[in-house]
Amino acid sequence: MGRIGFTTTIPVEIIYAAGKVPVDLNNVFVTHPNPEELLCQAEKRGFPRNSCAWIKGIYSALMGLGDVDCIIGVVEGDCSNTRALLEVLELEGIDYVPFSYPRTRNEKRLKEEIDSLMRAFGVDYKRVMEIKGEIDMVRRKVQYLDELTYKYNKVSGFENHLWQVSCSDFEGDYREYGAKVDALTVEAEKRAEFTQPVRLGYVGVPPVFPEIYQFVEEHGARIVFNEVQRQFTLAPGGFDRDIYQAYRDFTYPYSLEDRLQDIRAEISNRGIDGIIHYTQAFCFRGIEDIVVKERIDTPVLMIEGDRPGGLDARTKLRIESFIEMLHDLK
Amino acid sequence: MKVLGIDLGSRFVKLVVYEGERLVFSEVYDTVRFYREYCKNEAGSILLHLNRLLPLKVDRMVSTGYGRNNVRVLGAEVITELKAHALGAALQTGLEDFVLLDVGGQDSKVMLVEKGRLVDMLLNDKCAASSGRYLENMAALLGIPLDELTVHYKNPLALNSTCAVFAESELIGYISEGVEASRLYAGVNYSLYKRIKPMLARFTGERIVFVGGVAYNKAMQQYIREGEAFKELIVPEHPHLNGAIGCCRHAFTSDQ
Repeated sequence: MGRIGFTTTIPVEIIYAAGKVPVDLNNVFVTHPNPEELLCQAEKRGFPRNSCAWIKGIYSALMGLGDVDCIIGVVEGDCSNTRALLEVLELEGIDYVPFSYPRTRNEKRLKEEIDSLMRAFGVDYKRVMEIKGEIDMVRRKVQYLDELTYKYNKVSGFENHLWQVSCSDFEGDYREYGAKVDALTVEAEKRAEFTQPVRLGYVGVPPVFPEIYQFVEEHGARIVFNEVQRQFTLAPGGFDRDIYQAYRDFTYPYSLEDRLQDIRAEISNRGIDGIIHYTQAFCFRGIEDIVVKERIDTPVLMIEGDRPGGLDARTKLRIESFIEMLHDLK
Repeated sequence: MKVLGIDLGSRFVKLVVYEGERLVFSEVYDTVRFYREYCKNEAGSILLHLNRLLPLKVDRMVSTGYGRNNVRVLGAEVITELKAHALGAALQTGLEDFVLLDVGGQDSKVMLVEKGRLVDMLLNDKCAASSGRYLENMAALLGIPLDELTVHYKNPLALNSTCAVFAESELIGYISEGVEASRLYAGVNYSLYKRIKPMLARFTGERIVFVGGVAYNKAMQQYIREGEAFKELIVPEHPHLNGAIGCCRHAFTSDQ
Protein backbone atom coordinates (compact mmCIF):
# COMPACT_ATOMS: atom_id res chain seq x y z
CA MET A 1 0.00 0.00 0.00
CA GLY A 2 1.45 3.35 -1.03
CA ARG A 3 2.46 6.03 1.41
CA ILE A 4 1.47 9.67 1.02
CA GLY A 5 3.64 12.27 2.72
CA PHE A 6 2.45 15.73 3.71
CA THR A 7 3.91 18.91 5.13
CA THR A 8 1.21 19.91 7.61
CA THR A 9 -2.24 18.65 8.62
CA ILE A 10 -4.47 18.01 5.59
CA PRO A 11 -7.84 16.21 5.32
CA VAL A 12 -6.33 12.85 6.18
CA GLU A 13 -9.66 11.09 5.64
CA ILE A 14 -9.08 11.37 1.89
CA ILE A 15 -5.80 9.47 2.03
CA TYR A 16 -7.31 6.70 4.13
CA ALA A 17 -10.36 6.56 1.82
CA ALA A 18 -7.98 5.99 -1.09
CA GLY A 19 -6.48 3.02 0.73
CA LYS A 20 -3.16 4.81 1.19
CA VAL A 21 -1.05 5.35 4.29
CA PRO A 22 -0.63 8.98 5.44
CA VAL A 23 2.79 10.07 6.69
CA ASP A 24 3.20 13.42 8.42
CA LEU A 25 6.75 14.31 7.42
CA ASN A 26 7.17 16.53 10.48
CA ASN A 27 6.75 13.47 12.68
CA VAL A 28 9.29 11.51 10.64
CA PHE A 29 11.79 14.33 11.18
CA VAL A 30 11.28 14.93 14.87
CA THR A 31 11.18 11.24 15.83
CA HIS A 32 14.21 10.38 13.68
CA PRO A 33 17.09 8.87 15.73
CA ASN A 34 19.40 11.62 14.51
CA PRO A 35 17.41 14.71 13.50
CA GLU A 36 20.54 16.88 13.54
CA GLU A 37 21.94 14.73 10.73
CA LEU A 38 18.79 15.43 8.69
CA LEU A 39 19.33 19.16 9.13
CA CYS A 40 22.96 18.86 8.05
CA GLN A 41 21.90 16.96 4.92
CA ALA A 42 19.46 19.71 3.97
CA GLU A 43 22.07 22.40 4.64
CA LYS A 44 24.55 20.55 2.44
CA ARG A 45 21.90 20.65 -0.29
CA GLY A 46 21.83 24.43 0.10
CA PHE A 47 19.02 25.18 2.59
CA PRO A 48 20.21 28.25 4.52
CA ARG A 49 21.39 27.80 8.09
CA ASN A 50 19.11 30.66 9.01
CA SER A 51 15.95 28.97 7.79
CA CYS A 52 13.27 26.91 9.50
CA ALA A 53 14.47 23.55 10.87
CA TRP A 54 11.08 21.95 10.18
CA ILE A 55 11.40 22.66 6.45
CA LYS A 56 14.93 21.27 6.36
CA GLY A 57 13.92 18.28 8.43
CA ILE A 58 10.91 17.54 6.21
CA TYR A 59 13.12 17.71 3.15
CA SER A 60 15.71 15.24 4.43
CA ALA A 61 13.09 12.99 6.05
CA LEU A 62 11.35 12.69 2.72
CA MET A 63 14.56 12.06 0.79
CA GLY A 64 15.41 9.30 3.26
CA LEU A 65 11.99 7.61 3.13
CA GLY A 66 12.29 6.50 -0.46
CA ASP A 67 8.99 4.66 -0.88
CA VAL A 68 6.53 7.54 -0.92
CA ASP A 69 4.02 7.65 -3.77
CA CYS A 70 3.64 11.40 -3.69
CA ILE A 71 3.31 14.21 -1.24
CA ILE A 72 0.64 16.75 -0.51
CA GLY A 73 2.14 20.20 -0.13
CA VAL A 74 0.16 22.87 1.69
CA VAL A 75 0.84 25.96 -0.38
CA GLU A 76 -1.57 28.35 1.32
CA GLY A 77 -2.39 28.53 5.01
CA ASP A 78 1.04 27.41 6.11
CA CYS A 79 4.18 29.33 5.16
CA SER A 80 6.10 30.58 2.16
CA ASN A 81 9.01 28.32 3.14
CA THR A 82 6.80 25.36 2.24
CA ARG A 83 6.31 26.78 -1.22
CA ALA A 84 10.06 27.05 -1.71
CA LEU A 85 10.47 23.53 -0.34
CA LEU A 86 8.03 22.25 -2.96
CA GLU A 87 10.02 23.96 -5.70
CA VAL A 88 13.12 22.11 -4.52
CA LEU A 89 11.25 18.81 -4.29
CA GLU A 90 10.03 19.29 -7.84
CA LEU A 91 13.65 19.77 -8.85
CA GLU A 92 14.45 16.48 -7.11
CA GLY A 93 11.77 14.78 -9.22
CA ILE A 94 9.20 14.32 -6.44
CA ASP A 95 5.54 14.64 -7.37
CA TYR A 96 3.33 16.74 -5.21
CA VAL A 97 -0.33 17.53 -5.02
CA PRO A 98 -0.90 21.13 -3.91
CA PHE A 99 -3.50 21.85 -1.24
CA SER A 100 -4.59 25.25 0.07
CA TYR A 101 -6.45 26.53 3.09
CA PRO A 102 -7.86 29.82 1.75
CA ARG A 103 -6.74 32.56 4.08
CA THR A 104 -10.22 34.11 4.13
CA ARG A 105 -11.77 30.79 5.26
CA ASN A 106 -13.94 31.08 2.18
CA GLU A 107 -16.36 28.17 2.26
CA LYS A 108 -16.63 27.76 -1.50
CA ARG A 109 -12.91 27.89 -2.09
CA LEU A 110 -12.13 25.42 0.67
CA LYS A 111 -14.76 23.05 -0.76
CA GLU A 112 -13.09 23.30 -4.17
CA GLU A 113 -9.73 22.48 -2.60
CA ILE A 114 -11.07 19.44 -0.75
CA ASP A 115 -13.01 18.26 -3.81
CA SER A 116 -9.90 18.63 -5.92
CA LEU A 117 -7.90 16.56 -3.41
CA MET A 118 -10.62 13.88 -3.49
CA ARG A 119 -10.42 13.81 -7.30
CA ALA A 120 -6.63 13.55 -7.18
CA PHE A 121 -6.98 10.44 -5.02
CA GLY A 122 -9.99 9.05 -6.88
CA VAL A 123 -12.36 8.99 -3.89
CA ASP A 124 -15.90 10.33 -3.46
CA TYR A 125 -17.59 12.33 -0.72
CA LYS A 126 -19.59 9.38 0.58
CA ARG A 127 -16.55 7.20 1.15
CA VAL A 128 -14.61 10.07 2.73
CA MET A 129 -17.47 10.70 5.16
CA GLU A 130 -17.60 7.02 6.07
CA ILE A 131 -13.91 7.12 6.93
CA LYS A 132 -14.41 10.40 8.79
CA GLY A 133 -17.06 8.69 10.91
CA GLU A 134 -14.57 5.99 11.87
CA ILE A 135 -11.73 8.43 12.50
CA ASP A 136 -13.97 10.66 14.59
CA MET A 137 -14.38 7.74 16.99
CA VAL A 138 -10.62 7.82 17.50
CA ARG A 139 -10.62 11.60 17.80
CA ARG A 140 -13.21 11.33 20.58
CA LYS A 141 -10.87 9.04 22.47
CA VAL A 142 -8.04 11.55 22.10
CA GLN A 143 -10.39 14.29 23.22
CA TYR A 144 -10.97 12.33 26.41
CA LEU A 145 -7.19 12.11 26.92
CA ASP A 146 -7.19 15.90 26.72
CA GLU A 147 -9.86 16.00 29.44
CA LEU A 148 -7.78 13.61 31.50
CA THR A 149 -5.03 16.23 31.22
CA TYR A 150 -6.85 19.38 32.29
CA LYS A 151 -9.92 18.16 34.18
CA TYR A 152 -8.58 15.14 36.00
CA ASN A 153 -4.83 15.93 36.03
CA LYS A 154 -3.84 12.40 35.12
CA VAL A 155 -2.21 12.78 31.72
CA SER A 156 1.08 14.67 31.40
CA GLY A 157 1.66 17.68 29.17
CA PHE A 158 3.96 15.63 26.97
CA GLU A 159 1.43 12.82 26.49
CA ASN A 160 -1.20 15.42 25.72
CA HIS A 161 1.12 16.90 23.10
CA LEU A 162 2.17 13.58 21.59
CA TRP A 163 -1.23 11.93 21.24
CA GLN A 164 -2.87 15.04 19.83
CA VAL A 165 -0.07 16.02 17.45
CA SER A 166 -0.04 12.49 16.04
CA CYS A 167 -3.65 12.92 14.97
CA SER A 168 -2.31 14.51 11.79
CA ASP A 169 -1.63 11.00 10.43
CA PHE A 170 -2.64 8.63 13.28
CA GLU A 171 0.73 6.99 12.76
CA GLY A 172 -0.52 5.58 9.45
CA ASP A 173 -3.25 3.36 10.94
CA TYR A 174 -6.11 5.01 12.81
CA ARG A 175 -7.61 1.73 14.07
CA GLU A 176 -4.39 0.66 15.74
CA TYR A 177 -3.91 4.21 16.99
CA GLY A 178 -7.34 4.11 18.62
CA ALA A 179 -6.41 0.86 20.36
CA LYS A 180 -3.21 2.43 21.71
CA VAL A 181 -5.19 5.41 23.00
CA ASP A 182 -7.58 3.01 24.75
CA ALA A 183 -4.68 1.29 26.48
CA LEU A 184 -3.17 4.56 27.64
CA THR A 185 -6.55 5.79 28.88
CA VAL A 186 -7.08 2.69 31.03
CA GLU A 187 -3.60 3.09 32.51
CA ALA A 188 -3.87 6.86 33.01
CA GLU A 189 -7.22 6.71 34.79
CA LYS A 190 -5.58 4.69 37.56
CA ARG A 191 -2.80 7.19 38.13
CA ALA A 192 -2.46 9.59 41.04
CA GLU A 193 -3.20 13.18 40.07
CA PHE A 194 -0.44 15.59 39.09
CA THR A 195 -0.12 18.28 41.73
CA GLN A 196 1.94 21.07 40.17
CA PRO A 197 0.31 24.34 41.23
CA VAL A 198 1.01 26.46 38.14
CA ARG A 199 -1.06 25.66 35.03
CA LEU A 200 0.34 26.64 31.67
CA GLY A 201 -0.98 26.79 28.15
CA TYR A 202 1.28 26.10 25.18
CA VAL A 203 0.41 28.02 22.04
CA GLY A 204 2.06 28.01 18.64
CA VAL A 205 3.46 25.28 16.45
CA PRO A 206 4.61 22.06 18.14
CA PRO A 207 8.03 22.44 19.76
CA VAL A 208 11.25 21.28 18.14
CA PHE A 209 12.32 20.31 21.66
CA PRO A 210 9.60 18.17 23.29
CA GLU A 211 11.81 18.08 26.42
CA ILE A 212 10.05 21.32 27.37
CA TYR A 213 7.11 19.40 28.86
CA GLN A 214 9.18 17.49 31.34
CA PHE A 215 11.28 20.52 32.18
CA VAL A 216 8.13 22.47 33.06
CA GLU A 217 6.83 19.61 35.20
CA GLU A 218 10.11 19.45 37.11
CA HIS A 219 9.79 23.13 37.95
CA GLY A 220 6.39 23.23 39.60
CA ALA A 221 4.12 23.71 36.59
CA ARG A 222 2.18 21.71 34.02
CA ILE A 223 1.14 22.31 30.46
CA VAL A 224 -2.60 21.60 30.40
CA PHE A 225 -3.37 23.02 26.97
CA ASN A 226 -1.62 22.42 23.66
CA GLU A 227 -3.27 24.78 21.24
CA VAL A 228 -2.22 23.69 17.75
CA GLN A 229 -1.90 20.02 18.67
CA ARG A 230 -5.50 20.10 19.90
CA GLN A 231 -6.54 21.68 16.63
CA PHE A 232 -4.95 18.73 14.81
CA THR A 233 -7.53 16.47 16.48
CA LEU A 234 -10.37 18.55 14.97
CA ALA A 235 -12.07 18.06 18.32
CA PRO A 236 -12.72 21.74 19.18
CA GLY A 237 -15.57 22.17 16.68
CA GLY A 238 -17.33 18.90 17.56
CA PHE A 239 -17.79 15.82 15.40
CA ASP A 240 -21.16 16.19 13.74
CA ARG A 241 -19.86 18.17 10.79
CA ASP A 242 -19.14 17.31 7.19
CA ILE A 243 -15.56 17.26 5.99
CA TYR A 244 -15.75 20.78 4.60
CA GLN A 245 -16.99 22.35 7.80
CA ALA A 246 -14.57 20.34 9.93
CA TYR A 247 -11.55 21.75 8.10
CA ARG A 248 -13.08 25.20 8.03
CA ASP A 249 -13.37 25.20 11.83
CA PHE A 250 -9.72 24.13 12.11
CA THR A 251 -8.06 27.40 13.25
CA TYR A 252 -4.36 26.83 12.58
CA PRO A 253 -4.13 27.77 8.86
CA TYR A 254 -6.38 30.81 8.99
CA SER A 255 -6.15 34.16 10.72
CA LEU A 256 -4.53 34.71 14.09
CA GLU A 257 -7.80 36.15 15.39
CA ASP A 258 -9.51 32.74 15.04
CA ARG A 259 -6.70 31.20 17.05
CA LEU A 260 -6.86 33.89 19.73
CA GLN A 261 -10.57 33.29 20.29
CA ASP A 262 -9.86 29.62 20.85
CA ILE A 263 -6.90 30.38 23.15
CA ARG A 264 -8.86 32.86 25.28
CA ALA A 265 -11.74 30.43 25.69
CA GLU A 266 -9.41 27.64 26.80
CA ILE A 267 -7.50 29.88 29.22
CA SER A 268 -10.71 30.38 31.11
CA ASN A 269 -12.02 26.83 30.62
CA ARG A 270 -8.79 25.22 31.87
CA GLY A 271 -7.83 27.70 34.59
CA ILE A 272 -4.55 28.66 32.93
CA ASP A 273 -2.12 30.94 34.81
CA GLY A 274 0.30 31.70 31.98
CA ILE A 275 0.94 31.07 28.32
CA ILE A 276 4.11 29.87 26.66
CA HIS A 277 4.10 31.10 23.08
CA TYR A 278 6.50 28.96 21.11
CA THR A 279 7.84 30.17 17.80
CA GLN A 280 10.24 28.47 15.48
CA ALA A 281 13.44 30.41 14.77
CA PHE A 282 13.23 32.36 11.49
CA CYS A 283 9.44 31.85 11.29
CA PHE A 284 6.96 34.62 10.46
CA ARG A 285 5.00 33.55 13.51
CA GLY A 286 7.65 35.25 15.64
CA ILE A 287 6.14 38.53 14.45
CA GLU A 288 2.68 37.34 15.50
CA ASP A 289 3.92 37.37 19.09
CA ILE A 290 3.25 41.13 19.10
CA VAL A 291 -0.45 40.42 18.61
CA VAL A 292 -0.53 37.40 20.93
CA LYS A 293 0.92 39.44 23.81
CA GLU A 294 -1.43 42.37 23.23
CA ARG A 295 -4.58 40.34 22.79
CA ILE A 296 -4.21 37.90 25.65
CA ASP A 297 -4.62 39.15 29.21
CA THR A 298 -2.81 36.23 30.82
CA PRO A 299 1.01 36.59 31.13
CA VAL A 300 2.76 35.34 27.97
CA LEU A 301 6.34 34.13 27.65
CA MET A 302 7.63 33.83 24.10
CA ILE A 303 10.29 31.24 23.56
CA GLU A 304 12.03 30.34 20.38
CA GLY A 305 13.42 26.99 19.29
CA ASP A 306 15.73 26.30 16.41
CA ARG A 307 17.09 22.75 16.27
CA PRO A 308 16.22 19.53 18.13
CA GLY A 309 18.51 18.43 20.94
CA GLY A 310 16.96 19.72 24.13
CA LEU A 311 16.40 23.08 25.74
CA ASP A 312 19.30 25.53 25.82
CA ALA A 313 20.37 27.11 29.11
CA ARG A 314 18.85 30.51 28.30
CA THR A 315 15.45 29.06 27.44
CA LYS A 316 15.53 27.05 30.65
CA LEU A 317 16.28 30.17 32.65
CA ARG A 318 13.45 32.07 31.02
CA ILE A 319 10.90 29.30 31.55
CA GLU A 320 12.01 28.78 35.13
CA SER A 321 11.78 32.49 35.92
CA PHE A 322 8.36 32.69 34.27
CA ILE A 323 7.03 29.80 36.36
CA GLU A 324 8.54 31.32 39.49
CA MET A 325 6.86 34.63 38.71
CA LEU A 326 3.46 32.98 38.10
CA HIS A 327 3.87 31.04 41.31
CA ASP A 328 4.51 34.23 43.26
CA LEU A 329 1.53 35.91 41.59
CA LYS A 330 -0.85 33.14 42.55
CA MET B 1 22.84 35.52 61.02
CA LYS B 2 25.43 35.97 58.28
CA VAL B 3 24.35 35.12 54.74
CA LEU B 4 26.58 34.62 51.72
CA GLY B 5 25.03 35.64 48.40
CA ILE B 6 26.70 34.24 45.28
CA ASP B 7 26.04 35.50 41.78
CA LEU B 8 27.70 33.21 39.25
CA GLY B 9 27.91 35.54 36.26
CA SER B 10 29.26 34.73 32.83
CA ARG B 11 32.15 37.20 33.23
CA PHE B 12 32.47 37.66 36.98
CA VAL B 13 31.45 35.84 40.11
CA LYS B 14 30.21 38.17 42.82
CA LEU B 15 30.18 37.30 46.50
CA VAL B 16 28.60 39.39 49.23
CA VAL B 17 27.96 38.72 52.89
CA TYR B 18 25.16 40.43 54.79
CA GLU B 19 24.75 40.42 58.50
CA GLY B 20 21.21 41.56 59.06
CA GLU B 21 20.78 44.77 57.07
CA ARG B 22 24.49 45.39 56.84
CA LEU B 23 26.81 44.48 53.97
CA VAL B 24 29.96 43.21 55.69
CA PHE B 25 31.95 41.74 52.82
CA SER B 26 32.05 41.80 49.02
CA GLU B 27 34.42 40.46 46.42
CA VAL B 28 34.40 40.05 42.64
CA TYR B 29 36.28 37.27 40.84
CA ASP B 30 36.93 36.62 37.19
CA THR B 31 34.60 33.69 36.40
CA VAL B 32 37.21 31.44 34.82
CA ARG B 33 39.68 32.07 37.65
CA PHE B 34 36.96 31.49 40.22
CA TYR B 35 36.11 28.02 38.90
CA ARG B 36 39.77 27.12 38.49
CA GLU B 37 41.11 28.29 41.80
CA TYR B 38 38.29 28.32 44.34
CA CYS B 39 36.05 25.41 43.42
CA LYS B 40 36.08 21.68 43.19
CA ASN B 41 33.56 19.66 41.19
CA GLU B 42 31.99 16.92 43.22
CA ALA B 43 29.46 14.64 41.51
CA GLY B 44 28.06 17.42 39.36
CA SER B 45 27.98 20.01 42.12
CA ILE B 46 30.43 22.74 42.99
CA LEU B 47 32.20 22.67 46.31
CA LEU B 48 33.45 26.13 47.25
CA HIS B 49 36.73 26.54 49.15
CA LEU B 50 35.03 28.91 51.58
CA ASN B 51 38.03 29.34 53.87
CA ARG B 52 40.00 30.78 50.96
CA LEU B 53 37.14 32.86 49.62
CA LEU B 54 35.84 34.45 52.80
CA PRO B 55 37.48 36.04 55.84
CA LEU B 56 34.49 35.10 58.00
CA LYS B 57 32.13 32.23 58.68
CA VAL B 58 28.61 32.31 57.26
CA ASP B 59 25.41 30.62 58.44
CA ARG B 60 23.62 30.30 55.14
CA MET B 61 24.33 30.45 51.39
CA VAL B 62 22.07 31.43 48.50
CA SER B 63 23.25 31.43 44.90
CA THR B 64 22.03 32.57 41.52
CA GLY B 65 23.39 33.44 38.13
CA TYR B 66 24.24 32.28 34.70
CA GLY B 67 24.98 28.81 35.97
CA ARG B 68 21.56 28.43 37.57
CA ASN B 69 20.72 25.38 35.52
CA ASN B 70 24.15 23.90 35.25
CA VAL B 71 25.91 24.72 38.47
CA ARG B 72 24.73 23.64 41.88
CA VAL B 73 26.77 25.04 44.71
CA LEU B 74 26.93 22.50 47.51
CA GLY B 75 25.10 23.75 50.58
CA ALA B 76 23.47 26.71 48.83
CA GLU B 77 19.84 27.39 48.09
CA VAL B 78 19.42 28.41 44.44
CA ILE B 79 17.12 31.15 43.18
CA THR B 80 16.66 32.47 39.64
CA GLU B 81 18.55 35.54 38.45
CA LEU B 82 15.37 37.49 37.93
CA LYS B 83 14.16 36.98 41.43
CA ALA B 84 17.62 37.79 42.78
CA HIS B 85 17.77 41.05 40.84
CA ALA B 86 14.27 42.14 41.81
CA LEU B 87 15.05 41.49 45.49
CA GLY B 88 18.50 43.10 45.28
CA ALA B 89 17.18 46.26 43.69
CA ALA B 90 14.38 46.51 46.25
CA LEU B 91 16.91 46.20 49.08
CA GLN B 92 19.42 48.62 47.60
CA THR B 93 16.92 51.34 46.71
CA GLY B 94 14.25 50.84 49.35
CA LEU B 95 11.69 51.07 46.52
CA GLU B 96 8.77 48.74 45.87
CA ASP B 97 7.55 49.80 42.44
CA PHE B 98 9.97 50.26 39.58
CA VAL B 99 11.18 49.06 36.21
CA LEU B 100 14.46 47.21 36.57
CA LEU B 101 17.08 47.02 33.86
CA ASP B 102 19.95 44.59 34.30
CA VAL B 103 22.67 44.53 31.68
CA GLY B 104 25.28 41.94 32.47
CA GLY B 105 28.15 40.18 30.78
CA GLN B 106 26.12 38.06 28.41
CA ASP B 107 22.54 39.20 28.50
CA SER B 108 20.13 41.93 29.37
CA LYS B 109 16.81 41.80 31.13
CA VAL B 110 14.02 44.22 31.87
CA MET B 111 11.71 43.49 34.77
CA LEU B 112 8.61 45.12 36.14
CA VAL B 113 8.56 45.12 39.93
CA GLU B 114 5.35 46.01 41.77
CA LYS B 115 5.00 45.94 45.54
CA GLY B 116 8.48 44.41 45.68
CA ARG B 117 7.42 41.50 43.47
CA LEU B 118 8.42 40.58 39.95
CA VAL B 119 5.28 40.80 37.82
CA ASP B 120 6.59 40.86 34.25
CA MET B 121 9.87 40.52 32.45
CA LEU B 122 11.63 40.53 29.11
CA LEU B 123 14.94 38.91 28.35
CA ASN B 124 17.07 39.52 25.32
CA ASP B 125 17.17 36.68 22.85
CA LYS B 126 20.08 34.47 22.04
CA CYS B 127 22.52 37.09 20.81
CA ALA B 128 24.99 38.59 23.27
CA ALA B 129 25.29 41.81 21.26
CA SER B 130 23.12 43.54 23.86
CA SER B 131 25.45 42.82 26.74
CA GLY B 132 28.56 44.01 28.51
CA ARG B 133 30.70 41.57 26.59
CA TYR B 134 29.96 43.55 23.45
CA LEU B 135 31.39 46.68 25.08
CA GLU B 136 34.46 44.78 26.27
CA ASN B 137 35.14 43.43 22.81
CA MET B 138 34.74 46.84 21.22
CA ALA B 139 37.05 48.48 23.79
CA ALA B 140 39.67 45.81 23.08
CA LEU B 141 39.30 46.36 19.35
CA LEU B 142 39.70 50.11 19.81
CA GLY B 143 42.66 49.60 22.14
CA ILE B 144 41.25 51.65 25.01
CA PRO B 145 40.22 50.76 28.58
CA LEU B 146 36.50 50.03 29.04
CA ASP B 147 36.19 52.95 31.48
CA GLU B 148 37.29 55.36 28.81
CA LEU B 149 34.91 53.95 26.20
CA THR B 150 31.87 54.31 28.41
CA VAL B 151 32.00 58.07 29.10
CA HIS B 152 31.45 59.18 25.49
CA TYR B 153 27.88 59.83 24.40
CA LYS B 154 27.85 62.89 22.12
CA ASN B 155 27.20 62.61 18.36
CA PRO B 156 27.29 58.84 18.16
CA LEU B 157 28.09 57.26 14.82
CA ALA B 158 25.54 54.83 13.50
CA LEU B 159 26.55 51.18 13.91
CA ASN B 160 23.67 49.32 12.32
CA SER B 161 24.67 45.68 12.37
CA THR B 162 22.51 43.36 14.43
CA CYS B 163 25.54 41.12 14.79
CA ALA B 164 28.30 42.11 17.21
CA VAL B 165 30.97 40.66 14.96
CA PHE B 166 29.78 42.55 11.89
CA ALA B 167 29.61 45.72 14.01
CA GLU B 168 33.37 45.33 14.49
CA SER B 169 33.83 45.47 10.72
CA GLU B 170 31.67 48.57 10.57
CA LEU B 171 33.79 50.17 13.26
CA ILE B 172 36.99 49.36 11.41
CA GLY B 173 35.52 50.97 8.30
CA TYR B 174 34.96 54.22 10.25
CA ILE B 175 38.48 54.08 11.72
CA SER B 176 39.92 53.79 8.22
CA GLU B 177 37.95 56.89 7.24
CA GLY B 178 39.65 58.79 10.07
CA VAL B 179 36.47 59.52 12.03
CA GLU B 180 36.86 61.34 15.36
CA ALA B 181 37.54 58.83 18.17
CA SER B 182 34.95 60.16 20.65
CA ARG B 183 32.19 59.70 18.04
CA LEU B 184 33.29 56.10 17.51
CA TYR B 185 33.18 55.42 21.24
CA ALA B 186 29.77 57.07 21.53
CA GLY B 187 28.63 54.98 18.56
CA VAL B 188 29.50 51.77 20.38
CA ASN B 189 27.58 52.85 23.49
CA TYR B 190 24.63 54.05 21.45
CA SER B 191 24.39 50.80 19.50
CA LEU B 192 24.08 48.89 22.78
CA TYR B 193 21.38 51.30 23.95
CA LYS B 194 19.49 50.85 20.68
CA ARG B 195 19.37 47.09 21.18
CA ILE B 196 17.96 47.51 24.69
CA LYS B 197 15.53 50.32 23.84
CA PRO B 198 12.77 48.07 22.37
CA MET B 199 12.76 46.08 25.60
CA LEU B 200 12.45 49.24 27.71
CA ALA B 201 9.59 50.44 25.55
CA ARG B 202 7.45 47.56 26.80
CA PHE B 203 7.27 48.88 30.36
CA THR B 204 6.24 52.17 31.79
CA GLY B 205 6.76 53.53 35.27
CA GLU B 206 7.98 56.51 37.23
CA ARG B 207 11.39 55.11 38.00
CA ILE B 208 13.90 52.87 36.37
CA VAL B 209 16.59 51.13 38.40
CA PHE B 210 19.67 50.20 36.40
CA VAL B 211 21.89 47.34 37.61
CA GLY B 212 24.55 44.96 36.31
CA GLY B 213 28.12 45.88 35.39
CA VAL B 214 26.93 48.00 32.45
CA ALA B 215 25.04 50.31 34.84
CA TYR B 216 28.38 52.06 35.44
CA ASN B 217 28.34 53.11 31.79
CA LYS B 218 27.83 56.90 31.86
CA ALA B 219 26.80 57.07 28.21
CA MET B 220 24.09 54.43 28.73
CA GLN B 221 22.78 56.34 31.74
CA GLN B 222 22.66 59.50 29.63
CA TYR B 223 20.80 57.82 26.75
CA ILE B 224 18.21 56.35 29.13
CA ARG B 225 17.68 59.72 30.82
CA GLU B 226 17.28 61.49 27.49
CA GLY B 227 15.53 58.84 25.45
CA GLU B 228 13.09 57.20 27.87
CA ALA B 229 9.99 58.50 29.59
CA PHE B 230 11.02 57.59 33.14
CA LYS B 231 11.09 60.51 35.56
CA GLU B 232 14.03 59.14 37.45
CA LEU B 233 16.97 56.85 36.70
CA ILE B 234 18.47 55.23 39.77
CA VAL B 235 21.81 53.44 39.77
CA PRO B 236 22.19 51.87 43.20
CA GLU B 237 25.45 51.95 45.13
CA HIS B 238 26.54 48.46 44.03
CA PRO B 239 24.92 47.78 40.65
CA HIS B 240 27.28 44.91 39.80
CA LEU B 241 26.62 43.18 43.15
CA ASN B 242 22.85 43.47 42.82
CA GLY B 243 22.16 39.78 42.11
CA ALA B 244 24.31 38.61 45.01
CA ILE B 245 22.67 41.17 47.31
CA GLY B 246 19.27 39.84 46.21
CA CYS B 247 20.36 36.35 47.26
CA CYS B 248 21.02 37.62 50.78
CA ARG B 249 17.70 39.45 50.86
CA HIS B 250 15.97 36.21 49.86
CA ALA B 251 17.54 34.42 52.82
CA PHE B 252 16.27 37.03 55.23
CA THR B 253 12.79 37.45 53.78
CA SER B 254 12.12 33.74 53.26
CA ASP B 255 12.98 33.18 56.91
CA GLN B 256 10.42 35.63 58.15
